Amino acid sequence: MTSVIAPPSAHCHGCAVHSPMAEMVQIGGRQDQWDYLVALAGNPNTGKSTVFNALTGLRQHTGNWPGKTVTRAEGLFTNHGQRVKVIDLPGTYSLQAGSSDEEVARDFLLFGRPDVTVVVLDATRLERNLNLALQVMEITGKVVICLNLMDEARRHGIAVDPGKLEQTLGVPVIPASARSGVGIKELQNAIHDVATGVRTTTPFRISKHPADVEAAIGALVPLIEAAFPGLPNPRWVALRLLNADERIEAAVKSGEIGVLSSATLDNFTHQSSPPAVLPPGSDGQTTLLTEVIAQRWKLSGSFHDTIMESLYATAQRIASEAVLVGVRKTKFNVDRTLDRLLTSRWFGFPLMLLLLMVVFWLTVTGANVPSAMIADVLIGKFHPMLNGIGTSIGMPWWLSGFLFDGVYLASAWVISVMLPPMAIFFPLFTLLEDFGYLPRVAFNLDGMFQKAGAHGKQALTMCMGFGCNAAGVVATRIIDSPRERLVAIITNNFSLCNGRWPTQILIASIFVGALAPARVAGLISASAVVGVALFGIVMMFASSWLLTRTVLQGEATTFSLELPPYRPPRILQTLYTSLIDRTLIVLWRAVVFAAPAGAVIWLISNIHLGGDSIAGHMVGWLNPTGILIGLNGVILLAYVVAIPANEIVIPSVLMLTVLTGHLAGGQGAGVMFELDSAQQVGDLLRAAGWTTLTGVSLMLFSLLHNPCSTTIYTIYKETGSVKWTTVATLLPVAMGFTLCFLVAQVWRLVAA
Amino acid sequence: MPPPVLAPDPTLALLLFGAFVVLGALGFWPKIGLFWRARRLARLTERVTLEDGLKHLVNCKLSGRTGTIESLGGALEVSRGRALKILSALAARGLVITDGVAVSLTPDGHTYGMRMVRAHRLLERYFADRTGIAPAEWHERAEREEHRISEAEADHLAASLGNPLMDPHGDPIPSVSGILPPASGVPLSGLAPGTAATIVHLEDEPREAYDRLRAMGFNPAVPVKVLESKPGVLRMLIAGVEQFLDPVLAGNVTVEPVTERETHTVLLQRLDSLPLGQSATVAQIAPMVQGPQRRRLLDLGVIPGTVILAEMSSPSGNPMAYRIRGALIALRREQAHGILISRLQLPAPAELMA
Repeated sequence: MTSVIAPPSAHCHGCAVHSPMAEMVQIGGRQDQWDYLVALAGNPNTGKSTVFNALTGLRQHTGNWPGKTVTRAEGLFTNHGQRVKVIDLPGTYSLQAGSSDEEVARDFLLFGRPDVTVVVLDATRLERNLNLALQVMEITGKVVICLNLMDEARRHGIAVDPGKLEQTLGVPVIPASARSGVGIKELQNAIHDVATGVRTTTPFRISKHPADVEAAIGALVPLIEAAFPGLPNPRWVALRLLNADERIEAAVKSGEIGVLSSATLDNFTHQSSPPAVLPPGSDGQTTLLTEVIAQRWKLSGSFHDTIMESLYATAQRIASEAVLVGVRKTKFNVDRTLDRLLTSRWFGFPLMLLLLMVVFWLTVTGANVPSAMIADVLIGKFHPMLNGIGTSIGMPWWLSGFLFDGVYLASAWVISVMLPPMAIFFPLFTLLEDFGYLPRVAFNLDGMFQKAGAHGKQALTMCMGFGCNAAGVVATRIIDSPRERLVAIITNNFSLCNGRWPTQILIASIFVGALAPARVAGLISASAVVGVALFGIVMMFASSWLLTRTVLQGEATTFSLELPPYRPPRILQTLYTSLIDRTLIVLWRAVVFAAPAGAVIWLISNIHLGGDSIAGHMVGWLNPTGILIGLNGVILLAYVVAIPANEIVIPSVLMLTVLTGHLAGGQGAGVMFELDSAQQVGDLLRAAGWTTLTGVSLMLFSLLHNPCSTTIYTIYKETGSVKWTTVATLLPVAMGFTLCFLVAQVWRLVAA
Repeated sequence: MPPPVLAPDPTLALLLFGAFVVLGALGFWPKIGLFWRARRLARLTERVTLEDGLKHLVNCKLSGRTGTIESLGGALEVSRGRALKILSALAARGLVITDGVAVSLTPDGHTYGMRMVRAHRLLERYFADRTGIAPAEWHERAEREEHRISEAEADHLAASLGNPLMDPHGDPIPSVSGILPPASGVPLSGLAPGTAATIVHLEDEPREAYDRLRAMGFNPAVPVKVLESKPGVLRMLIAGVEQFLDPVLAGNVTVEPVTERETHTVLLQRLDSLPLGQSATVAQIAPMVQGPQRRRLLDLGVIPGTVILAEMSSPSGNPMAYRIRGALIALRREQAHGILISRLQLPAPAELMA
């Protein structure tokens, strides 16, 4: 939070420097210099991000707000030779700072001191959207209204009069249809005019609250003006103080709020030094704060309600003056018809399952060919080539082994297994999201999740987890209730991620499929894999239920879910952003973690102590525990070294099996490998003493074990809590050990 | 090749596992496990006992009663002898003065006691506004936590809650300097039929009575009106909804009579009873909906006068999707239950005057 309120000169570089670089993806353009700073505010689902994209094109950054798990996007455009930097604030319904999104937006408007604030309004929902615009105008007068979705409004037979709105609000109102680029140039010009002062604004402010509120404001405003002369919004500050806004109170105490007055009056340059700050605890401030407490005792408890009521009443009046509804009533309502179908009692669930199955099918089958191609190039061609180069330049065997067989091979493996499915899955998922279908899934399933104490949107983060748990954990940001978000984060690991599917499929076909006659073997092993995934969903519900009734009992909970209108998805935009924002970030993190794991695997296989490799010793120690729970020491060791990425479990298992069992085959100590057919893998594993029980136990353990280190790290970043990260890590391991143990004992009793 | 490791006997392993589970359950079963019992016992230190004693005396003073050894023993659930010991320990610290029967607080004792009351009520406010803890547990938890937070922490808590004036039961929270506004109101049982009033306080003990009152919708700031008083039953409007109340329970509710306003006399319904495809006007958000939940509803535009249409049902019927000021918003049944509506189809309020 501190960097948000840094002085402008620091702020200029702050965005890139103070937030972790790993989180930032540079898309293009030098972003460290600008002439004007523009903030983009708006309700959720108003097409705000479309406006942002239309304004800035591809010159944007995404990252996090410092110290917050709120996504921050910023971009740049040039107009009249001036470089304009745009900060996309989180979409919020209000600025009461009730959630971290609102807090971020409010703090930036107040302390980030944008030169212009653009408020994006949905022309089809003017009244609701004006509520936010009015709140923004209470804070800052330098506002431009972007009246977006004019085309959609026309389709719904709603006509809005921008001139009338402009006259009432006292700030420029630019009608636009950002999707088709209409009005964007005009918006850029209006921003320029307001920023340079060519056009002055006279922002509309609510001047009539109920008498008791007005009396309290009247008592405070002179004191505020005395303590901070020249403050542009004393009435708003008074209201926030009466509402016991902790942040504003702190700003009054520290004198920080005084900075605002000089800044807005002088139209400061960004290079200037920050204005002097009042010494804290001066007389004016103390008198003010004492008076605030006195006034608060006089006001009724429903003060906050009263304020919201006057805001909405005003918004309603302004909207009704500017909107002409029902010019042309549409006969056929597409949205309602689609909704009836997609959320109906009979078709809702089957349609949902069908859609999800199509997405998974496209992912699994579509990924096979590119995966094999990447593996062929990176592992089949580059790896021997690198080794060849190493030999030719006389590299010692341990160095080339460490670098190429360890670090390189593990990274190459992760990329070839992970990249193609994610590059297919995430864009498909984002398209469904863009279209507006995913909120309907959450709506359909909320009844079930509610019973487990969770949020319907957890269905979406869970589906995302089938692609990648780390991405699923980040996706929980859509859940705005703290308790439900934690539940979704902790239980995301029960979604069988894309790194674990290959293990499941291989082991099922070797050990489960082999039990059935050859002609149904494929079907049986496929059902076994689906069975494990479904069991994961059952465990997700069970542990959500358990968590909300035990450790998470006391966390706060609120539910809200907006079902936005259906909109045609923007395909190219989606492909681009989902590749950049989701796929590449996740892949990068995975490689960062997998490379050292490759090194460790190579080292423990090649360093010998007392006649055996370190790996050999560790397998020996882990064997008794492994056998007890139906697995073996090799599998446990593979899971220890493969914490960074589930993708390298099978290659590690194969390598360790050959190494410690002194069997024929393999590529050498510490060199992970895979075999061409499941048949060969099965022969090797059976020779090493694997039974059907080992296979079944491995499938269960692959579902129920700790999240990979990328996910653990992401959980820590998202929760900021060691406690919840530990719970999320240890809970599935404990479940996995217990379940495998029980299965093994019962299996042995029945088999004996 | 290393020697193969043999699996242990499965029966033995299962038996050991079973024993382990039983032991774990004995030790850590929520609330009654040995570990939790031991921890509760360890927390009941001398200081906690003395502070509880002091708080009892302050509460006596606030409600205009005189604290005695008997009342102290009763409140702390200890013998008379133990109560006497506690009292002399308090006297030795200069916190109380006893004259044999009646016990009174010294100024230091009063300040210390008010600090405890402040911490207790702030904690209750915190549980109500910021956590999902069940209302019935607020009091008990605050009883435990109040001994553990320092004065500075209490002030910080107050600041983060926006310096609340009342606890969720309607009791005023003492200011930093220990000042309380004078108590007001009359017991609900003394309210004449036809009188409208606002609830100002709900007694949080005994717990069973408190739970029942909460379940009926009783809460501070809720408007009520007695419609009819018969032996053994009170027919009344609670936030516009007609209910029957046991007069014994009515003694646990303090109300302040008000001049009659429209909201008390119109029969209100709750949003979750609105049939699909029909519209209604919001009368108010039920006063029991507080903190983030209330704020969320206000931000969504649920304010008196907003027209809400029940547009769509999820396959299970919960949640439902409502058209609120242009946007389609899904609300769960319990959220919809917290919104009081008047149906557009109903006759004008004047015709419903009781």
